[in-house]
Amino acid sequence: MKKQRILLFGYGDHGRHIAKGLAEDGFEIKIVESDQTYFRKAKEDGWIDVEIVDVKSDALLKLLEPETFDQIVCVMQDEHLNVFLTLSLRSLFKESYIISISDSIHTTKKLKMAGANKVIDLYEVSANKVFNIMKKPVSTKILEGFIRNREGIILKEMTIPKDSFLDGMHTDALDISSYGILLIGMIDEELGHGFMFITTGIDHKLDVGDTIVCLGPHEKLHAFEAAIAKSTETEAIAYFENMLKRVTEEEE
Amino acid sequence: MQKLILNAALSLQRSKRYRHAKEKARDLFENDHNPYKRFLDLFIIFLIVSSVFILVYEVDHPIPSWLDSYDIYFVSFVFFVEYIIRLWIHSEWSGELVDEYQNACFLHKKFDFWSAFWRATRNKLKYLITPAAIIDLLAILPAYRPLRVLRIFVLFRVLKLLRYTKSINQFVDVVVSKRFELLTLLFLLAFIVITAGIALYVLEERINPQINSLFDAIYWALITISTVGYGDIAPVTDIGRMISMFIIISGIAIISFATSVIVSAFSERLSELKENRIIEQVNKSRAFLIICGYGQMTKMLLRQQQDEIGDYVIMDMDKERVAQARKDGYVAIKDDASRFETLSRFNTDYTDVTVLCLTGNDIENIYITLNAKSISRRIKVIARVNNVELANKFNYAGADHLLMPNEVVNTMIRTAITQPATYKAAHAILTGKTIAKIDEMYMYEQHGLIGKRIGDIDFNTGKLILIGIERNGEFLFNPHQDEIVMKHDVLLVMGKQISIDYFQEQYRAGNRS
Repeated sequence: MKKQRILLFGYGDHGRHIAKGLAEDGFEIKIVESDQTYFRKAKEDGWIDVEIVDVKSDALLKLLEPETFDQIVCVMQDEHLNVFLTLSLRSLFKESYIISISDSIHTTKKLKMAGANKVIDLYEVSANKVFNIMKKPVSTKILEGFIRNREGIILKEMTIPKDSFLDGMHTDALDISSYGILLIGMIDEELGHGFMFITTGIDHKLDVGDTIVCLGPHEKLHAFEAAIAKSTETEAIAYFENMLKRVTEEEE
Repeated sequence: MQKLILNAALSLQRSKRYRHAKEKARDLFENDHNPYKRFLDLFIIFLIVSSVFILVYEVDHPIPSWLDSYDIYFVSFVFFVEYIIRLWIHSEWSGELVDEYQNACFLHKKFDFWSAFWRATRNKLKYLITPAAIIDLLAILPAYRPLRVLRIFVLFRVLKLLRYTKSINQFVDVVVSKRFELLTLLFLLAFIVITAGIALYVLEERINPQINSLFDAIYWALITISTVGYGDIAPVTDIGRMISMFIIISGIAIISFATSVIVSAFSERLSELKENRIIEQVNKSRAFLIICGYGQMTKMLLRQQQDEIGDYVIMDMDKERVAQARKDGYVAIKDDASRFETLSRFNTDYTDVTVLCLTGNDIENIYITLNAKSISRRIKVIARVNNVELANKFNYAGADHLLMPNEVVNTMIRTAITQPATYKAAHAILTGKTIAKIDEMYMYEQHGLIGKRIGDIDFNTGKLILIGIERNGEFLFNPHQDEIVMKHDVLLVMGKQISIDYFQEQYRAGNRS
């Protein structure tokens, strides 16, 4: 698979961590900064593809060729500049996928209006966690796993491949508990890009190209992802168990 | 004689029962957090009010003799007992005596009994001359009937109420804090009154039939300077009238000055008084939250869950942010949560306190964590960590839970890029959207689900997903169909809010159908 390329605006408090995390995940990153101090910091941290650009200028933004990148992430330290940048990028490049970061509800609204595809609120998730810690200790532990995102019980999405035994099945009839995982929801391509939770109770027909999101232990999810390529269920179960055995053996 | 007293003191100190009783009494009379103190206070207040009522009623009406003896014997007796108990718990008379004796023995010094006796007694005497003790004593006096004039001492019973009215105490505090200004004014007033009084006495004593003594003249001066002006005594000469005019004008000046001093003292202390009220209020609840810092995160928390977090108080050092919080309709006080005095004002012994450190400054957050933990281990601390590298230090400081918004955002962005579908699911779950709520069900005794096979429980109707069961601290993910629900299990389910509510309703305690 070709490496996804990401254009990261901002190397402030958040940009720093995001750049590191994305590099770990194997993305190709280009960092753009408008502030000297952060620019130097990025250089010091060993990033090679770093540019200092006055992001207020449309001509300079065009020179960066954002349309060649798969995703654009805007995490400038200055909140106002971040909104302005999002707006400029959207007006210049209609097709780009832009993710922005916001630190309050008001900013979230502005960023959405400015045309960001996705806005991530700094505190929304954490604020909810405070409440969970106080009132729901058990779910806190599980949700913690979602965020750590590496081991234990996690969420994972998988696309239904061609000839999969899942193709044509209805979610109501689907029982994947024998794989030791739970189906949380899906994106039905026939119905657009919206995510549906299975808990809404609407029956969906699974087709090739649909994305399903499952919850479960890390290794089982991986085995299941490989198993859904099989055309019959019996084959899939056999493959799944085989794969799981191999993983556990490897670990031992 | 000395030996006898000393032995009595020693045996008192050795008696566990005696010390225990004294401790109990002290807690009951002096600790505001003691739940029984309220009943004691109410009882005494009732006695006071009834006693005053009898005094007033009796002036014009005959009263039954039982009411009279209730007033003389019962009320006075209770007050007498109260007086003795308060004297008893005020200081450790026998304790001090015994301490001195033991110190002397330890140092092989000659034990000077009488000086030790005097020192211990002096502490008790000191209590006896405090205003509260004097009022208590005078409130007992009306019981002595032969002297009719003592009846007026019933009014001292009213003064006893002072102990129970915080607002009057606060007023006295404010006035005391301005005593320098007020005393100066008082001296000025006395000076003018006396000078004017003497002047009028000298000038008009022979001419004016209303003025017979110096007291009359001074009485006139005071009535005039206060702008009351009864008019029973009035100057008759021109010079006398000029003196009148002069003291009326200076009277207005003095009165308005005194008023402004008291008003300004109050407005200076007003915010403090208000904050004390807030703290008192919150201290009464069984569990509450102290939120340190009013930033974006606090705003978000309160906006999301204000109804469900129960009692709370926001604390911030910045005046403007506190004003903003109040404007937004939240309970906030301006104080420094990293100071020992601030947090120790809260009732940490009788209630569950949770401190939320949500300021944007890590050092501040660590300091508050340490401060809270040093006051009481029972205080739960949830701290925000901005710099992930400092997480370790927060754990050392004793924080119970850490919040790392930066790390969360980091993961969320990475998820959004690599797994867009998962991002939507995780975001909805993590922000507690009602469409996909994760909720806990506690299997209390007699819960309808206890003893059931997982396979037999109908999760399907409400489209609920059973994520797992927590049992004895361990989490069983996606339990097997044959698993049986046991007492004290916690079931973790995911689903729409209404489905969860309905499901809970269905299996409420005892409803096993």
